[in-house]
Amino acid sequence: MKILVLNCGSSSLKYQFLNMETEQVLATGLVQRIGMDDAIFEYKVPGGKEVKEVNSILDHTTAIKRMLAALTSPEYGVISDPSEINAVGHRVVHGGEAFSGSVMVNDEVKQTLRALFDLAPLHNPPNLTGILAAEDAIPGKPQVAVFDTAFHATMPRTSFLYALPYAMYKRHKVRRYGFHGTSHRYVSERAAALIDKPADQLKLITCHLGNGSSVAAVVGGKSVDTSMGFTPLEGLIMGTRSGDLDPGAIFYIMAREELSMSEMNSMLNKHSGMRGVSGISGDMRQIEEEMAKGEPRATETFEMAEYRLRKYIGAYAAAMNGVDAIIFTGGIGENSNLLRGAVCEHLTYLGVELDEGINNTRSKQERLISKPTSKVQVWVIPTNEELVIARDTKELVEQLGK
Amino acid sequence: MSVRIWGIVGTGQMGRGIAELVASKGFEVVMVGRTPTELEHARQCLDKALQHQIDHWAITDAEKRVILARITFTTDLTKLVEADFVLHAMLAEIEEDKQLFRTLDQICQKDVILASNTSTLSITEMAAATYRSDRVIGCHFVTPYTKTRVVEVVRGLKTANETVAEVMALVQQLDRTGVEVYESTGYVTTRLIVPLINEACAVLMEGVASAEDIDTAMRLGYEMARGPLETADRIGLETVLVMAERLWREYGELKYRPSPILRKLVRAGNVGAESGEGFFKYDPDGHRSKSGGAVR
Repeated sequence: MKILVLNCGSSSLKYQFLNMETEQVLATGLVQRIGMDDAIFEYKVPGGKEVKEVNSILDHTTAIKRMLAALTSPEYGVISDPSEINAVGHRVVHGGEAFSGSVMVNDEVKQTLRALFDLAPLHNPPNLTGILAAEDAIPGKPQVAVFDTAFHATMPRTSFLYALPYAMYKRHKVRRYGFHGTSHRYVSERAAALIDKPADQLKLITCHLGNGSSVAAVVGGKSVDTSMGFTPLEGLIMGTRSGDLDPGAIFYIMAREELSMSEMNSMLNKHSGMRGVSGISGDMRQIEEEMAKGEPRATETFEMAEYRLRKYIGAYAAAMNGVDAIIFTGGIGENSNLLRGAVCEHLTYLGVELDEGINNTRSKQERLISKPTSKVQVWVIPTNEELVIARDTKELVEQLGK
Repeated sequence: MSVRIWGIVGTGQMGRGIAELVASKGFEVVMVGRTPTELEHARQCLDKALQHQIDHWAITDAEKRVILARITFTTDLTKLVEADFVLHAMLAEIEEDKQLFRTLDQICQKDVILASNTSTLSITEMAAATYRSDRVIGCHFVTPYTKTRVVEVVRGLKTANETVAEVMALVQQLDRTGVEVYESTGYVTTRLIVPLINEACAVLMEGVASAEDIDTAMRLGYEMARGPLETADRIGLETVLVMAERLWREYGELKYRPSPILRKLVRAGNVGAESGEGFFKYDPDGHRSKSGGAVR
């Protein structure tokens, strides 16, 4: 079975095409600046041909058609006809309370997705646009939606409710949803397979650290808490997002700076986090570079981000009454030995013993970076959200056939 | 039909404000001005306005660059052949407007909607100058363009229902609420704000209260974002004067007769926030100066 995985942003489209018999990636790519005359189309066959073109691509349907043309190109394509695509899996950011797992897309699902626009105004509308465009460009193929929030649907009420008037939850569904679910799910499943302990008792803390970052507490394969909440703004210090702060500060700033709601929202999402504190960059690599040069603001920013992350790990160890393994993933989690080292250095009370040598060795592999004697294992597991989406799609399509 | 490129004729406060709004919502803009100097001035003003947004944390440097890159500046009206929707946004007399619509009708592709931002001139009259009167409509944005969330969508006599529906949808894409109105000088917003400004001028002239206090009373008393006199300064007193004169001419009612103080300020060149002084004083960034300057 061959499955196409799509991740649609408002002006971008990320795709991966997989052969699910072998779970091998046949082709990947990215379309940027959709809607413009100078849209960028990229296509790559792993270990093979790369294509990059600048062309007019005015909507997502055209972008998908362009991608299909590449996939079926006699010169560098990997299939001879679009009909060889068996199904399409879509990444959808917000599933609200309606979706606790992946679903086959039908009219009712699309209707519900529209109803969820208010909860994720930046992400869900382009996700639906992608679904409609794929239906248009590859008609008659099953489409599956895989939600970023779904893995956290198992959170108990004690972790997902906010201490607000209960009417806010009943009326507006204001609660914690959590994000990066597909990634937390993938790495926690991988860890369960790698760790020699019964999976149903395993207590894991998964740290997805990238442009946006979140931590999850996973017991027996189920998410019981996560640091992102109603929106992806809560929790850790991120590239440009503030993470946790006293809501009282927001009203004070709005009054003092005479800001509107949308300006305040933009400050917290785009001008804060590591970018805001350091004044240098929201990119951890650049922060680390400046830190190496002895720039004190970079050092302070790094330490703040590390401290916040460590607090969450401590909190989740307490929440689960113990932890068997800590897993790092995402761009920063997979590549920043400095951050992993700094976090683990202060977790000795949990019995964490880091193997400095392995931690400092760069690799793209899944790897145990704690010592054999460490009471808590520490892993680096590269995430693979596309594979999870493709697997879920395959499973639902197979059920359809039964 | 889906709109991707907006054509905007006019580089004044109106044209610039709407261009900034439209480009920030992801549309491309072709902005047509009369001279290169005028366009350069518009570009600088837009740059400044966006910088102001950055200072208010509303956008990032990268977003500013993207927004500016979406706007092209030209003196060549025929460039509007590329546009999917054309908005005329400058203060002019009806004869000039009719001439412009006649020209636009020849340049623009045949199903393109031609819209005017006027609040006081006749859409029907402009439409009559074209061969597409069903595709001509009024689309009245209210200052400050990047903040105000309403657009009056105005039917001329022959405007087609589909045209109205398309423009209502387009307005929604800008995160604005469309209010449907029938052609009538001043529609809702202008017809109601002009008498309020005029009456505020009368209160000022009679010495009942200072400009500052008139605005404070109305701001706090009726939860307005700004008082009537600052509102007038923000619209531009020249524009307010023209609006009042046109309402007066149309309806013949004294309540619309422009207040003498309005005329006096315009004659003195104190035309509001744009010029640095109107009823109040403003710094080059358009902020109210903290001390003094208010007309007494």
